[in-house]
Amino acid sequence: MLYRRRTLDLSRGALETPVLFPVRNIGKRSSDNTPEYVGTIPEFSVAMINTRSIRNREPMWNRLTDGVPLRKEMDVPEDTIVFADSGGFDFSSGDVDTTPAQTLDTQRQLDADIYGTVDLPLSRENRDAENDRRVEQSTKYALEASDLHDGDSLLIASVHGYDPQTVRNNIRYLEKNGHFDGYALGSMVPIRTDYKKVSKLILAARTATDKHLHVYGLGGLVYQPLLLYLGVDSFDSSAFIRSAGNRNYLVPGFGGEALRNVESMEYLPCPCPVCGQRCLDDIREDRTALTQHNLWALATELRRFRYVAESDRDIEEYLDLRFQGNPVTQRAYETAKQQVRRLS
Amino acid sequence: MNDTFTITDEQQDYSQYDLDANPFPYSPVPAEDPEIYCGQPHVTEKISSTVSSVLSTGKSKHLVVTGKYGNGKSHTLKYTRSLLRDRDDVVVGYVAQPGEGFLDIYHEFIYDLGFSRVQEIAYEYLAAVTCDITDENPTGANEMESLLDDGEILLSEIVPETIRRLSDVTKFADFARAIVHMVYEDTNLYAWQWLTAEGIRYEQRKEMEIHSALDDDTMGVRAFTAMKNILLDLSYTGVFVFVDEFESIARLSPKNEQATLNSIRHLMDQNSNGLCMLFGCAPEVWQDVMSEYHAFSERIGQEVALRPLTTENLTELVEDYLSRERTSAVPDPAVRPFTENSLELILQRSQGNIRQVLSVCSRMLDNAASESQAEITADFTQEHI
Repeated sequence: MLYRRRTLDLSRGALETPVLFPVRNIGKRSSDNTPEYVGTIPEFSVAMINTRSIRNREPMWNRLTDGVPLRKEMDVPEDTIVFADSGGFDFSSGDVDTTPAQTLDTQRQLDADIYGTVDLPLSRENRDAENDRRVEQSTKYALEASDLHDGDSLLIASVHGYDPQTVRNNIRYLEKNGHFDGYALGSMVPIRTDYKKVSKLILAARTATDKHLHVYGLGGLVYQPLLLYLGVDSFDSSAFIRSAGNRNYLVPGFGGEALRNVESMEYLPCPCPVCGQRCLDDIREDRTALTQHNLWALATELRRFRYVAESDRDIEEYLDLRFQGNPVTQRAYETAKQQVRRLS
Repeated sequence: MNDTFTITDEQQDYSQYDLDANPFPYSPVPAEDPEIYCGQPHVTEKISSTVSSVLSTGKSKHLVVTGKYGNGKSHTLKYTRSLLRDRDDVVVGYVAQPGEGFLDIYHEFIYDLGFSRVQEIAYEYLAAVTCDITDENPTGANEMESLLDDGEILLSEIVPETIRRLSDVTKFADFARAIVHMVYEDTNLYAWQWLTAEGIRYEQRKEMEIHSALDDDTMGVRAFTAMKNILLDLSYTGVFVFVDEFESIARLSPKNEQATLNSIRHLMDQNSNGLCMLFGCAPEVWQDVMSEYHAFSERIGQEVALRPLTTENLTELVEDYLSRERTSAVPDPAVRPFTENSLELILQRSQGNIRQVLSVCSRMLDNAASESQAEITADFTQEHI
C-alpha cells in the first residue's frame, strides 16, 4: 500500500496531505461563483485555479493588478492555499499563448502558493509523434520555469505520458535537470475511463519520485480512493460543480446519482450540513446547495479512507468492498493491487 | 507389492574405465550448443570458407549441407551456430524446419533471436541515435536502458528521430515502430507478437500506429530484410540463418513449395550483402530442388555432403566423447574400454551413421559396466548389439 501522509511547508502554513484541491471557476466566468466551502469544510482551505483564464479575463486581471488580492476576488480567507496551474488543458487543441516566464510572473502576481508549470496535454487522437513533441515541449517549459523560479512558493512540474516509461523517464529527467518541489501528472482526463492505464501511469510516477505527486483532474468520487491507495499526495477536481450542473448527486462510497432517479425520496442519504436538515425538493432547486453537498461527498470519501488507514484497518479489504459494485473499477483496482504488492 | 520394476537413482560406476560417467547420449539428438564436433574435413572446410567470406567481405553467401538422417546435419548447423554466437558482430538464428512457408521461417528466426535480443537491438538503435543527437555516448543496450531509466536522456526527444531513421533504413515504417515499441513496457508484448508474425488485434496495432499486418510470405521477406538492414546499420557484419530439415518442404503442396522457394530467392535477391543462409537438407530432396527450381538452387550454388563415418572418423569421435569424462590421463588405447575390433563392428552395424554409433556406444558402455567387463570386445558387442 502506497498511501502516505505528508506535510507541505508553505508560507501560509502547513498543508496536510493527501489533499483535494477543489477547482474554482474564477477566470472562466466573469467572477468566481464557486459556492462557499473554505471555512465550511475544514480540510478544504485550498483551491485550484487556472492562471491563464485569470490573466486572459481582462477586467478581472486589471482589478488584480490594481491591487485587489486574489483571495479577496475569490471571497476566501487570506490564508487559503492556492494551487495555480498553467491552464494547459486549454492548449489541448489551441496554440500555446504564454511562456513559462509569463505564467510564472502571473502566478507570482496572484500570490499562489503552488505553481504548476506550462504544459501541453496529450490526446488519444494524436499521433505518437505529436504526443512525443508535446511531452518534450512540456519538459522544456518545466525546465525554463525551474531556471526562472526563485520564490517561496512550491514549483510543481507538469508531466505527461501515455506509457509508464515516458512518465518515469520524464520525471527522472526533470529531477536531473531542474529543481522542483514535486510533480503533477497531466493528460489523465482523456483516458480516465481506462482505469488500468491510469493506475499504471500513476504508479510509474509514484515510483519515479518520492517528492510530492499531484494528479490533475481526477479527484472525483470514484478515482479518489484509487489515487490515495496509489500514494498520490494531492489531486484536483471540478466534479462537484459539473455534477451539480447536471443535477447529479454524489453519494460517498458509491458515485453519482441523477436526482430524477430518486425523486420519490423525501430526504437524501447524506447527513452532511447541506443535506442533513433539508429535504430533496429543497436541494434540487438549489444548485449551490447541491454543489456544496457534492464537495462534502468528496470530503467524506477522503475522510473515510483516512479513517480506515488511521484505525489500522485493512485498506485493501475496504477497497475490495468500495469497488465491488463496478466491474470496471474493480478490475482496475485488482490490477493496481497486484502492482502495489509487487512494490511493497 | 509389485516388484516388476526396480527403480533407483543410483549411478552406474564407470571408474574401472577411468570415466566419471557415460559420456555418450542415451538419446542421440544434437545439443543446443554442442561442445564436440567430429567434423569431416571437407564439410568443415566448406562451412568455414562460406562463413569466413561473409565475415571478411560482408557479401552474402549461402550453402546447403546435405546428408542422410542421422549423419549429423543438425549437429553441424548447431555447432556452427554455437561458434558464431560467440562473436559480437553477427546475429545468428536457427530455424528447426521451414514449416508451411517463408513466414514460418521468419517467425522461427525471430523467435530464436528471442524477445530480449530484439529488445536489445531496439535499445542499441536508440543508443546510436542518442550518440548523434545528444551529448551522451551510450555504448550499448544496457547503458542506453540505464540512461533512460535514470532520466539522463529524454525518451520523447530521441524516439521520433529513431522512428524516422529506422523507417529510412528499413523502408518499412511499421517495422520501425514495432522495433521502437519493444522498449515500452505497455506495448512490447504486442510489438513482439507483431514482429514474430503471430498476429495481433487491430486495436493493438492501432495503439502502436502500425497499419499493416505481417501475415504473408511477402511481408515476411520484407520484415526479414528490414531486420537485417537495421543490424547492418548498427555495424553488424551479417545475419546468419540456419534452416534445418529443409527436406520437409517436400511435404508442401507443389504450389506452396514453389512459393516458399521463391520467397527465399527473393530474400537472397534483396540481400546481396550481410546475409548467410545455411540449409540442412536430405540429399534426395535437394536433388529435386536442384532439378526443378533452378532459380533457387542457382542462388545457393554451393553444396557439401556429410558422408557416413569412416573408421578414422569413428575412432576420433569415440575418443572425443570419452575424453569428456576421463578421470585420469588418456589411457592406451585412447578408446578404452572399446577395442579396435568392437569399434569396427559398431561401424559396420551402424553403417557409419553417427546417430546410431552414439546410441550403440552408450548402450555398450552401460552393459559393460553392469556386467563388469574390463573391455568392450567385438564378441561382447556382437552379443549385446
